[in-house]
Amino acid sequence: MQNIYEVQQCNKIKSSLITALFFVFSVIAIYFMSQAFGYYNGYEVGGVGYVGIALVFSGISTFISYYYSDKIVLTISGARLANSKEHKLFASVAENLCIGAGLPKPKLYVIEDTAPNAFATGRDPDHAVICVTTGLLEKLNRTELEGVIAHELSHVKNYDIRLMSIVSVMVGLIALLGDWFFRARFFGGGRSRDNNNDNQLGAIIMVVGIIFAILSPIIATLIQLAISRRREFMADAGSVQITRQPAGLMSALAKISADHEPLEAANKATAHLYIANPFKDKAGGTIGWFASLFNTHPPITERISILQKMA
Amino acid sequence: MNIFLIILVAFVILVGWVISVYNFFVSSKARIKASIQEIGNQLKRQADLIPNLESSVKGYLTHEKGILEMLSEARKLISKGQDASKQISDALSGLKIVVESNPELKANTVVENLMNELRDTSDKVMYSRRLMIDLTADYNVKRVSVPSNIVANMFKFDELKGLETAEVGEHLTVSADEMKSPKVNL
Repeated sequence: MQNIYEVQQCNKIKSSLITALFFVFSVIAIYFMSQAFGYYNGYEVGGVGYVGIALVFSGISTFISYYYSDKIVLTISGARLANSKEHKLFASVAENLCIGAGLPKPKLYVIEDTAPNAFATGRDPDHAVICVTTGLLEKLNRTELEGVIAHELSHVKNYDIRLMSIVSVMVGLIALLGDWFFRARFFGGGRSRDNNNDNQLGAIIMVVGIIFAILSPIIATLIQLAISRRREFMADAGSVQITRQPAGLMSALAKISADHEPLEAANKATAHLYIANPFKDKAGGTIGWFASLFNTHPPITERISILQKMA
Repeated sequence: MNIFLIILVAFVILVGWVISVYNFFVSSKARIKASIQEIGNQLKRQADLIPNLESSVKGYLTHEKGILEMLSEARKLISKGQDASKQISDALSGLKIVVESNPELKANTVVENLMNELRDTSDKVMYSRRLMIDLTADYNVKRVSVPSNIVANMFKFDELKGLETAEVGEHLTVSADEMKSPKVNL
């Protein structure tokens, strides 16, 4: 039996370990790929130029999506501003929880969709957006809604959107490098092979580079998903810290998972933002260990059982 | 020269750490003060809101209450076996006026809204207290835990009380009556 502070502490440590692992892995992968690039192109300094270009590409695209994340996501999912008369419960619950969490009141949006779900976005607490579907507002009672909104507010409070943006810059960088590596390999010109000794070392580095080019985009994505799942657990614990009513979030999660209708407004790019996977698993919760590695969200049954321990 | 540089860097890091811990304590204190004001703010909102809501709902309810009273009068007469047609027709004519002016009888939703408002306002007060309690707890934990307690002692940051609650008393004991599950009588 852990109390809520221990859970949060444990989550924080696990989350920073995974994030550290991710960055160490990124540096190693980028190092080897750039070395291989260097050998391939015939200069020993390493392909800093390629890393630089990849960083610029991946950085700019993610920075734009980070800085305008709220607007982009809201446009993609077709959300509209919540109306304080029509969505009175939503507005007052969000306001109350902000008082409790000590956050400025976020902008509230609503998606017209009967599938119950919610997400938070925005680069910092001052630009935060919380969006819920009308199905969520209809199906949940006040206590359950409080649990869901508090979960979203915890994402805002933990700067999860910022973290996931930085992580996706790195994933994008690695993916670009791996991609270019193969293009250069097949279509680029080779260096002249005159020095036999250097050639051997070059061959080894080439092989390592190829292995990294093949595997690292997948591994980086897997670590990214692990971070995403860890942040979901953190937000669940944060929700309980604000409301002190795990039962609300538990029954909300149960209701959300019981509903098997997929959310039309969600796509792969926005899936990790939602409180529960918007596509719903077709297997009905009995997905295997391997498939669960590719999920943005931990299985709901596991989340509920962790919440139960906090109750 | 090298050792001097290392010492200098270590010193700069140390000073930076002391400054950041000091700033944590000072800003926490300011936030706690603001959160206490927020409690006052919410209590004032509640004090302004509830009596006004009460009187407006009362005004609405008297409208329908008159009719209900007339109907129950009539029912009493019927149960005694007396002729209640006069009372019923009186009640009906009153009912007609009410229904004409409000196509739906709204007392139900009016009371429901009042109940929602009551819950909402007490939630707001509760959450503003929650923030104060959480902030003071963070401050107090940091004040006693190693190594930030060194800075706290250096600048004499005192323990803050948070929400003042009696540390002994009935709320910490369970009496025999409280062990039984409560029954609701309406």
